[in-house]
Order: sequence, then C-alpha cells, then structure tokens
Amino acid sequence: MSGDRAAARSPLLAVRGVSIRHHEHDDDPAHDDPAHDGAADDRSRGATAPTPCDVTFDVGPGEAVLLLGPSGCGKSTLALATNGLVPHVVGADLDGTVHVRGRSTADHDTPDLSRDVAMVFQDPDAQVVTGTLLDEVCFGPENLFAPVDDVLARAEDALRRVGLWDRRADDPVTLSGGGRQRLAIACALALGSPLLVLDEPTANLDPAGTEEVYAVLREVVSTGDRAVLLVEHDLDAAVSLVDRVVVLDAAGRLVLDGTTRDVLAGRADLLADLGVWLPTATLAALRLRDAGVGIDTSGGLPLTPAELAALLDAVAVLPDHGQPDVPPTTRDAGRAGGPTLVVEHLTFRRGRGRGATTVLHDVSLAVAPGELVAVVGSNGAGKTTLAQLAAGVLRAPRGSLDGSVRVAGLDPTRTDPRELAGHVGFVFQNPEHQLVTSRVDDELALGLRVRGVPDDEVEARVEDVLRRFGLTHLRDRHPFLLSGGQKRRLSVGTAIICRPDVLVLDEPTYGQDRERAAELLDLLTALHREGTAVVVVSHDMQLVAEHATRVVALAGGRVVADGTPSAVLADDAVLSACGLRVPALARATRGLVRHPAWRGVTRLVDLPVAAVARVPA
Amino acid sequence: MSAVVRPGPAGVETRPAAVDPGPAAGSPGDRSGARPGTFAGPAWDLRTYDPLVTTLGPLPVVVFVFTTRDLLTPALIAAAALAVVLVMVRPPGRVLAALLLGLPLLAVVMTVSFGVLTDPHTVDGTTLVASVGPFELWSGALVTGLATSLRTVALLLLVLVGGLSTTGADVVRAMVQQLRVPYRIGYAALAALRFVPRFGHELEVIRSAHRVRGVDHGRGPLAGLRRQAGYAVPLLAGGIRHGERVSLAMEARGFGAHPARTERVRIPFRARDVVFLVATYAVPATIVLVVVPALARSAG
Repeated sequence: MSGDRAAARSPLLAVRGVSIRHHEHDDDPAHDDPAHDGAADDRSRGATAPTPCDVTFDVGPGEAVLLLGPSGCGKSTLALATNGLVPHVVGADLDGTVHVRGRSTADHDTPDLSRDVAMVFQDPDAQVVTGTLLDEVCFGPENLFAPVDDVLARAEDALRRVGLWDRRADDPVTLSGGGRQRLAIACALALGSPLLVLDEPTANLDPAGTEEVYAVLREVVSTGDRAVLLVEHDLDAAVSLVDRVVVLDAAGRLVLDGTTRDVLAGRADLLADLGVWLPTATLAALRLRDAGVGIDTSGGLPLTPAELAALLDAVAVLPDHGQPDVPPTTRDAGRAGGPTLVVEHLTFRRGRGRGATTVLHDVSLAVAPGELVAVVGSNGAGKTTLAQLAAGVLRAPRGSLDGSVRVAGLDPTRTDPRELAGHVGFVFQNPEHQLVTSRVDDELALGLRVRGVPDDEVEARVEDVLRRFGLTHLRDRHPFLLSGGQKRRLSVGTAIICRPDVLVLDEPTYGQDRERAAELLDLLTALHREGTAVVVVSHDMQLVAEHATRVVALAGGRVVADGTPSAVLADDAVLSACGLRVPALARATRGLVRHPAWRGVTRLVDLPVAAVARVPA
Repeated sequence: MSAVVRPGPAGVETRPAAVDPGPAAGSPGDRSGARPGTFAGPAWDLRTYDPLVTTLGPLPVVVFVFTTRDLLTPALIAAAALAVVLVMVRPPGRVLAALLLGLPLLAVVMTVSFGVLTDPHTVDGTTLVASVGPFELWSGALVTGLATSLRTVALLLLVLVGGLSTTGADVVRAMVQQLRVPYRIGYAALAALRFVPRFGHELEVIRSAHRVRGVDHGRGPLAGLRRQAGYAVPLLAGGIRHGERVSLAMEARGFGAHPARTERVRIPFRARDVVFLVATYAVPATIVLVVVPALARSAG
C-alpha cells in the first residue's frame, strides 16, 4: 500500500549481502528455539554453511514486509540482526552490512539502536520485566532517557492502541497469552522507533490470542507510521497484513522479493518446491488446478478463503470430493474390544473452601484403540487438566474429584506410576521436562528397564524406536543437546516405547513451526493407525482438521461438542463458545453458494487428487 | 478490551491498588490514604515513606535483637514493631489475622520445641515441667525457648515493617536514586526476581514429568540428592534460556542505552523519613536503657 512512498525515500532498513555463521556451541536462543530449528539443523549443525547467506533487501518507511522461508533458513537470525542482537549479544559472525536509518549495526549496540528498531519476540513470558503494565510500557522510553511527561504520553498512547489502557495497573501475568503479546507490541510502539520487527509473535498463542495480535498489527500497519518486518509461519493470518514478501530458501539465500500477490500467488509452485508453507487457500487451489478441476486461475491463485470461495463458485460443476472423515479405524474400533480410555462424569475442583474453582464439570469421554482424538478449547477451558487426569500426571487430592477415569481398566489416579507407564504415555508441552538421563538411548531404555523388561528385548526395542524417529546417529548424545524437533521426537519415543494403549500429548505443536508440527502429526497418525489410542490437546485448527478422527471441544470445563472434525469445526456456536476459529479451508467451503455438497470440506486431503507437495498427511 | 484473565503460573505478587501517576491519574487511592508510587499521603501512612528508611533502617535493630538474651527486650521491641505495623501500615484483614493469630502460635510452638532441645545441664536448679518418653521439659529450658522465640518474632516484625509497606520495585528505585546503585544491576535484579514464581511452577511440572516416566532413585538421603540433581538439569536449562530471552528483550528495549535512565517516580526523602529513622533507633534504645532496667528494678 505504501510501496511507492517507500521507493521515493531512502530505505529505513538496508540489508546488504548479509551472511551469518553461528558460533560452534550453538547455544544462542535464535537457534535454540524449538520453532527455529529441527530437521534443517539436523544437517546444518556442525556444518559451516552460513544461514542466512548473502541476503540483500530493503524495508522502506511504512512498509509491511513478511520474511518467509523453510525452518532453519535463518530468518529469525536475520531478524535479530536488524537491531544488532546478532552479532553483539548473540554470538555469531556476520558478513555484509545492516544499516538502520543510515546507522550501521556494526558501529552501534542494541540498546542504542532500539530508538530505530523495536522488536517483539515469540515467547510472551520472556519479555516481561516489571510488575505492572504501565511500568512495562514505560520501561523502554525510560531507558532512552525521555522526559517523564513524554514517557507517560507515549505509554498511554501505546497502551490505548493495543486496547490495554484500562488494565495499566494490573500485573502482566494476569493477562492471557494474546494480551501479553499485545503488551509486548505496546512496549515496542512506546519506543517510538519507525521499524517494528516481529519474530513469530503468534507461535505460542491460541487462536483467540492470534486474532487479538493480528487485529492490533492490522491497526498499526494501516496507520502507516511504522514499517513492519514480520517473521511468521501462519500465512493465513499474515497474508492480509503485508505488502511485500521476501523469501529465503533452505540454504538461507534470497530467492524472491516482491509484492505479496506476485510472490505467494504468482510463484506458488516454486515456493511449494522450496518447502515454504503457503496460505491454505493457495494450497487448495494448486491442488484443485492439478486435479483438473476447472477453476480459473488466470487472474492468479487465491490467497484468502474468500478468494478461493469465489473461484469455486465461478465453476459450474465440481467433482465429488474425498470421503468425509469417517476414518476406517473408528469403524474397526469395536473389533479391538471397546474403548481403552473411559472418562465418566468427571468433575474436578482445584483449591478448597471458598477459593475452590471447578475446572471440569461432568465430563464424559471414551476413546477407542485406533482413534486420534483432538481435545480443543481456549486457554483455561480445562483441556490440560483433563489430559493430565487421564494420564495419571495429576494426582487429585482426596475429595476434589467426582466420577471416574479408567485407562485399560486401571484408575490412573491411584495406580502405581510404573505400572501405569505401560498403559498410558504422556508427552509434556516442553520435552525437556521429561528427559531424565544423559544419553538418548538410555532415555528410551529407561521406561523399559524400570519395568523389568529383559535386556535383549530392551535393546531391540530401543533400536527400533531410534530408527523410526530418525535418532540413530544421535544415540550417544546428551538429550539436552538435541535440537527442538529432535527433543520432541525423543519425548514421544520415550512415551511410546513401553507400547502404551493410550498416548496423551499436551499441546505437542506449541511453539513449533508448521513443518515440525506436521511431521509430528504424521508420526501420530501412523501410531493411531497401528491401534494406539491417541489423545492430543491442541488449538491448531487446520492440523486438527487434517489429522484427528474425532474432536472434543471444551469450554469452561464442559464438553460442548464431541464428533467428527467436519461436524464440530462447522459448528459456529461451538467454535465461538470455545474461542476457536474455523480452519481456513472450511472458511472457504462453508460459504459456497453453487456447491452445497462441498460445504463440509475441511481437509486438504479430501480435495481431489493427492499429488501436491507440502500437504501434510 | 477482551483480554481474558488467566491465572499466572503460580501465586504471583500483585500490587494491591491502582498505580497511576499518569496523565489520567485521579483516583484518590485506596483506603490506606496513600497512592502507591507517588509517595503522597498522610504522615501516618508508612507507604509514603522512603522505602530505604523502612526496609534498611530497622536492620541494625535486627542485629541487636539477635544479641539479646533476656525476655523483656525482644518482647518490647516486638510490641513496638507490631504497633508500627498496625497503626502505620494497617494491613488488609488476611495479613492482620496472620500477624495476630499466627505469630503467637509460632511463638508457642518454638518455645516448647526449643525448650525440649535445650541441654538440661545448662538449666540446673529449675523444675521439671513435663516429660514424654525420653524428652524432659524443664522450666529453665522453657524460659530459654521463650527468649529464642521472642527474638525470632521481634525479628520477623521488624522486617515486616518494611516488607508490608513497600514493594521490591520501589526499593530498587530508591537504591538507584539515593544510594547510587548502578541501575543496570538494580533493574536486572528486579527482572530476575520475576523468575522465581516461574521456576516454582516449572519445578512442579518437572516433578510430575519425572514421576510419569516411572523414575525411581530408591530411598534414603543419597537417592533424594540424585532426585534433586535430576530436577536441576532441566530447571537450569530452562532457566538459562529464559534468562537469555529476557535479556535480549531488555536490550531490544534500550536497556543500557545511557548511563542513566528516566526516573518516572521520584522517591522523596522528607522530614517524616528523618523522624521515622530517628525513632527507629530511639525507641529500641529507650527500651534497652530506660524501660527494661526500670522494670527489672521494680521487679527486683
């Protein structure tokens, strides 16, 4: 929108031939973040190829630019280079130059550059320094030595822009994830710098939080007084926000730099080949086009669900779509002898006396072998509590629990943890929490050894899991030295090596990029097809739609829906009660006028043909 | 607007009233009469005093109380500190209940347990009050225990004078402004304090994660050590990473850009602070030099 204005002036941010090589020990946050590494650093770790590599681009005043690339391409590292955190604070070798408003980041340190570049990071918890919202927003201008009146004026303006002025006296921990990320944006705005850099600002948020953050960002961009450089995987959300897209390939080289539509719609095939995620609507259109469905893409591929819907409605006849999601495994469930996880009329209270709150109200649920059940809901809906009670992680104090939980006939809140571990596996949000030994293979063997499995069988099973999870070459590593994606695979491996009947995962995709998340869900899909009952707590709606055989929606500690993904995700009342959003593909298909038969399509796999790269499952 | 309130990771310090020195400020403050953060308010309100006077001021008295051996001195100093808390801090009901019911209870428990632990040979010539199995409680030992528990209570109350009337943030501000502590140290320490509840929550999760894995280090003190070591690695790894992220966020927001930073809240040092500081030493001195000898004389 402001491209021409930008061209007229000198660039705000000038990145010239930048290559960044991380120091050997690799313990810096940019590389350590689960979202920023994974398969890519499986190969780059120890290698000397720099990522990013020889990247040149500009950001003009008022422009909104999206930095895109497959995991491990160094886009977060590049973002950290815009205000000198790389190389001044995060150890790395930087070749080339970065200039902000004509000042080189080599000659100025990060605090000094903060008047020109403000940054918002991924983790909302790791950006809070003070005890109240007002103190927090004042922190930046105070550091810049602004006069008191100016500090307060900026703080008020920033808090009002993100809609948090009324809560200025509150402690930031009382805000939701989305609220804390809005606060981080307010803190960045209060610095008064003309460039705002956001490094995956919604990766740790639920759909409602993501929505809040994007509403604020849209307002910031439309005002036009700030340029925005955004690193983001959620293209469905980002696409409406940015003017321009800069794309890096897996080796960290710049491959495309152009307007959003030219890059994402015009070069969609190239991006798909590079392993870059595309908006769901674009992916769906690519797939339909390749299937020979006569959509008219001469005007470009669609970027938003609305554009996809318009294209579909322009077609007179659509072929039959794939089977709605009645997975074969559910039909086979009876054969396996009934559900393995049964929750009946479960009510759970936390705290006692007047302070007690009921976290779960009369929840009933049965999961059969071979099912992959997604438990969805907003933060605080009781999802994690339910999962933890089912897996025996949470030992309910006497009197706090009514109803019953049975896993393979056992009561998980009473059974000895070792015995229970053979029947139910639990994977925590942060894989580090459950890693207890100093070698990868010991980590896998532990669960078997404590249960007295003979040594030769332990060895065979460990080999098997190492191979399946691609960890064989890392068997003698310390688990904490693995990358985020590897740690996640290991933590799932430790849970399934005991061959549990039920596997429960708490937000396994939290803080991971879509590629890592899709890889993990493929793994879970394989598991549930083999007959394990899998329960996933998640709020990633498109992933839920693609992989789950059943969705259980919780709101306020009650089950508000329990059914197939297409049924639950098509129910507006349920979704709004749960603070969830309709998955992008469903948003396109549900409003179709000419093709009522397609209104229930929520999964890319249900679209005709399966020959497009980058489609999960 | 629509921000959903979600409880934090653990019980976290929240400031009780509106902190609002801003342009739109205007609320007359809470019932205590002072507006925290502005230090304006009636002289009876300890929240309007210099935080260094209320927190560091009583420390020499704390050290002195440690050295006392009699009953009267700590009892009187504790009473004086309690009076200050009740009149000048006027804490909310729950804190008040904890003070007025909890402290006496603590004193009784400590009196008896210290009394049992005291070597009976040191209290020859007193009477046996009670004996349960191998434990004997002598009246002399009981007096020793009472003295110890009174010292502890006095100490607690002296620390609470500052603890209940100010916040960590204001103490840091005062240290930066008045003691010339470098702000980088002060504010970095303040940010680090916010890690504590997070670590508590994290430790809880790690414990349950290890339990789910079926890890058992056996019994006994050695196994306990091994267990703690097992928790330490993930806790430290998480802590270091969190610390790094917070420091990146702080630098990105200009922390350290200048030798000084704007002090939005000026902490005044006024006549009331001088008076309070003088009283902090004059009252205990009077107790020790005048009241206690007088009472001893009249008793003797």
